[in-house]
Amino acid sequence: MTIKRRQITRRDFIRGTIGATLGTSMFGVKWALGSEKDDRTSLVAVVRNKNVMNDDLVVDFKLLQQMLDQTMIEVTGAKNSRDAWSTIIKPEDKVGLVSTGHLNPTHDELVSGIKLALMDIGVPKNRIKMAQGGLRKAKDCTALISLPALKAHWLTGIGTVLKNYIMYSGNPSRYHGENSARLGEIWHLPQVKGKTKLVLVDALHPLCDKGPQPDPRYQWAYNGLIAGTDPVAVETVCLRIIEEKRLALRGEPWPLSPPPICIEAADKVYGLGTSRMGEIRIKHFGWEQDLLL
Amino acid sequence: MRLCSIKVFFLLTIIMRVSISEGAASSMKVSKFDLPQTIGVWTRTDLPRVINSKDIFDYMNGAGELYLSYRFDHLEVYEYKADHEKSILVELYYMKTSDDAFGLLSLDWGGERISFGGSPANTSNESQATSARALYGAGLLRIWSDDLYSRVMAFQETSAAKKAVLTLGNAIVANRKTTPKPTLLKVLPTDMGMGWKLRNDRVGYLRSHLVLNSLYYLSHQNILNLNLSTEAVTAPYDNIVKNEDFRRVQFLFVKYVDSEQAQQALDNFHKSYLPEYKKDLGTESFAQIANFFEIEDGWLGYKLYGPCIALVFECPDKETARTIIDQTRFNLIETEVDYDN
Repeated sequence: MTIKRRQITRRDFIRGTIGATLGTSMFGVKWALGSEKDDRTSLVAVVRNKNVMNDDLVVDFKLLQQMLDQTMIEVTGAKNSRDAWSTIIKPEDKVGLVSTGHLNPTHDELVSGIKLALMDIGVPKNRIKMAQGGLRKAKDCTALISLPALKAHWLTGIGTVLKNYIMYSGNPSRYHGENSARLGEIWHLPQVKGKTKLVLVDALHPLCDKGPQPDPRYQWAYNGLIAGTDPVAVETVCLRIIEEKRLALRGEPWPLSPPPICIEAADKVYGLGTSRMGEIRIKHFGWEQDLLL
Repeated sequence: MRLCSIKVFFLLTIIMRVSISEGAASSMKVSKFDLPQTIGVWTRTDLPRVINSKDIFDYMNGAGELYLSYRFDHLEVYEYKADHEKSILVELYYMKTSDDAFGLLSLDWGGERISFGGSPANTSNESQATSARALYGAGLLRIWSDDLYSRVMAFQETSAAKKAVLTLGNAIVANRKTTPKPTLLKVLPTDMGMGWKLRNDRVGYLRSHLVLNSLYYLSHQNILNLNLSTEAVTAPYDNIVKNEDFRRVQFLFVKYVDSEQAQQALDNFHKSYLPEYKKDLGTESFAQIANFFEIEDGWLGYKLYGPCIALVFECPDKETARTIIDQTRFNLIETEVDYDN
């Protein structure tokens, strides 16, 4: 397949032609190309609790578990947490938890809470693996739960959901710069495709600038979990929160730079979900203050 | 005979291992920093973790690209630990030049200005953000000191942790040279005329399109051919004459190794960014005269000055773009920036 490669510039964003440019800019391989989903409505749950962390940022595990339960109920519409988990994971699944290991890492308490919930529905402990890293880890699993922490990223704009599988590529630096638009193709790798049952973002203490290196000036206690089954929709909601926080911090427009082209590409080129806020239904539960949505 | 061969093999292995270790040790230039062993309740590791350009991604994933976008030499990391307090991390980024270390600090002028004993910020009358050499905020201290850029971060900010962080900062800058800011900054006038004032707290010094994009997004591709041999400054100018009609333009000035590289970069920029404006790019007169184009976000102007290119974006009208480009020429004459080759 020969596609003429076009350059993506600031002007594409101003003109609103980024989607078209992305579509003709990327040399794809057939397995990596998707098409827009037929069902263009996605649900994203945002659950927050003001007290889930104290002033020293220590997590209250019980409150976090309650938030996790509520998140699953909101995402699936099930009556309770056990039913909710059962709709996406079967006891015979080999479940890979794909958390972020360092540089604003996923909270250990969240990972522990998920392990307990999975064991509660009958998944044996030895079938729950930490699956961040090489592609073999994804290959060995029948179900993946993506657990990134919410953060801006100086190379890709945002470095949360789509970037969370970058290590599966075997060559993460290949996706820096212009090639960050291609992050979506990793989700189509045969060892990964179709396995992600849930995207659950740790938004307890996000980072809205200078990521992935932590900079405490740009971290704040959002005290939230953001989840859904559409990775692009979840990332889009995450992006809105980061952008709103940046606006609030500076009191003037402070757009993410570079713009996160991976999100629109994940929608328009790789067909992984919707990047349009108008097609995303946000179900919020809990603490309202500074929701940023 | 077989026993003899085995002995020779083991002997050779030992010799090779010793030489490899020595080689590694000699190539790892660990600085002899006199960081205190203990500060308050925190005690540091004896030896730093030393990271070079090959393993920087193992240490910090994609963040490593930032340091490789400048002339990076190596990084030394110390961790101060305490029983009942969160750690303090000390990262010492050794760069090839003072300008590179300055560039890293210039990516964010936010925070409380810190003056350590004897540093110019302590005695200077400069109130500009770019006169800072150390900035502190929320537990993170960032320092530019000669060819060293340093981050000292308390994972939890307390009054004791802040005191320890600042004490460490003082130890880091002690007995180090005080170097001037990059000469290229002199092309940025405080006042461009017509009410356009420099946003000093947004001045950035860079060598890479990745860094440029983090300050002012232009293109995901490297359309200005930036690399480690080039240097650039960028800053916004705000119009404060009419507050009710606030406007901002973005100025960018790039210096290449020679005029030929600058010309090639300008050609590439024009083809990529202004494809609808077909020009005879090969002619010298085209590049030497200032050029102005009305595009979606306002007027864009550029001009080639020998090995340098001046560009201005988002001007409200052609006159503004022309004024700023002309002002650049005036500054080049007034300053020490060599643009005449």
